[in-house]
Amino acid sequence: MSRAYRITVKESSTRELKGSDEICTQLEVLEILPPEVMAELLKKELIQKGYAENPDGTLSRSDGNTTVTVNPKTFEVSVKSQVGEEVTLESKRETFGYDDVGPGQQELRERLKKQLDDDIDKKAERESERLQGQATAELEEKLCDLQPELSEVVNKVTREALKQKARQLGNIKELTEDEETGSLTIKIEV
Amino acid sequence: MTTALAPTGPPAVSRFEYNMLRILRFLVGQMPADQAMNLVYAKLPAPPCLSRVCVRIAQDTLAKASVLHLAESGGWRRERFLVDRRPTEGRVWERLPLELRKLAFGPSPLAFLMWLTAEKPTDTSNRWDAPGGLTAADELFFLMAYDELKAEPEVAQALVEKHYFRGNPLVRLAYAGDFAGAVPDFTGCFTGTRVAILECLQPVFAKRWIRSERAKGQIGDWKRMRRQGEVELETLRAFLKAANEARRPDLARFVLVANSVLLAPPELGLGFWTGGLQGQGPGRLADRIETQRVALAFPRQLETLQSWERQARNVGYYEEDYAASQLWKADWELARGDTVAAKARALVERLDPLRTG
Repeated sequence: MSRAYRITVKESSTRELKGSDEICTQLEVLEILPPEVMAELLKKELIQKGYAENPDGTLSRSDGNTTVTVNPKTFEVSVKSQVGEEVTLESKRETFGYDDVGPGQQELRERLKKQLDDDIDKKAERESERLQGQATAELEEKLCDLQPELSEVVNKVTREALKQKARQLGNIKELTEDEETGSLTIKIEV
Repeated sequence: MTTALAPTGPPAVSRFEYNMLRILRFLVGQMPADQAMNLVYAKLPAPPCLSRVCVRIAQDTLAKASVLHLAESGGWRRERFLVDRRPTEGRVWERLPLELRKLAFGPSPLAFLMWLTAEKPTDTSNRWDAPGGLTAADELFFLMAYDELKAEPEVAQALVEKHYFRGNPLVRLAYAGDFAGAVPDFTGCFTGTRVAILECLQPVFAKRWIRSERAKGQIGDWKRMRRQGEVELETLRAFLKAANEARRPDLARFVLVANSVLLAPPELGLGFWTGGLQGQGPGRLADRIETQRVALAFPRQLETLQSWERQARNVGYYEEDYAASQLWKADWELARGDTVAAKARALVERLDPLRTG
């Protein structure tokens, strides 16, 4: 007479999971002055907005999980959102064996362990997708705030460049500037 | 005294050769698909070699059909193309010397025909492929063959893996989206007979791209759109780079003409290209944006063409390239290049989540 026995195997794994999303674009900065002067104006304006200069010459600002990096020479902007989490994933499986027929206890345990590993991988994949979704949502939210801010920066850089250009062309007789609308009127005497 | 000539009947060929010649007539557009596809799908044991009569008929068919195809496609038109860096007007046989219009076929077309007659392309263990390089005439033949066989999706799927289609610059230019993997080298397209073929096929390429772009609005799968857009982008970039290096912008005229037609409607929006995409698409925003960007691979090429126009404007009267630059400027104006390029740029900018200015 055969006797049944139950085998329960539990497995847990702690993993560092990450989700990230990034978009790259280019600021439309008019070439009013030589590129190196325009780059300097952009850099100055970004530093005023809280950006810090990196050793490679780019400027970046981090806010939570999102980092904005601007290359003032090429006007390239990259916005990256990265979410990381240490997740403990657990899984448990049971099976029955018989002492006289079928696979032995050791073999059953090994099979269960393999199934548990697959379960944990699937759970990790789902968690990664969740983190990925979170990173994308944060990126989209950030872009909504960043778009007007960068427009303002570009506008200021353009106005400052126009002023400098006007000074190079002659004497400024009248200068009217509207911060709200971004309009600028310069009358010069050549 | 006169000698009576013995009456000669029609040339006699074997059953295999008869089928092969009928398939050839179908591939060169001289027989309807419904009469030929059953022969393409049929399997017939291949003979060790073909009879002289069969080879002669095949050669005759290939020679006449290829020339007719080129003439009908665009060779008959009075067009202006660069010949020795100078714009030359006329039909293709008036513009180019005979040496540049001679079509020489290699062994690949006949070998392909034998394979297609003997095997069922969708179910065969015989993975025959063109062994070596194709001549310009071979490339044209395989383009004509793909034109006809593409209507059968299963057959087309079996053929896209083969070198004589995958590595064929003419096929890749006409049907860029059907292929995957590395694009062929286009530098050879701007010398010898290939120039005459490219000139004749300009209207064909323009028509194919218009059709392909119009069909993009029906693509629902994000992955398919991304794959198609990426390969189109890569193909067009490689071709335009080669055309620029060969100083033959006139041979890229179909890109300008097709874009001019596509971008003509005043209310054209992104939906024309991406309106069919189903669901939210990929999880990452970067992937969603990139998919939509590559969907616009064709109109994006106007940026390159516009840079050529700017260069052309800077060529002085006494410079060597003055006449050639005038031709590109004329093409650009005729296609309302500035207007369509501005429209294309506005469309691409709408995909930029951080659009400033």
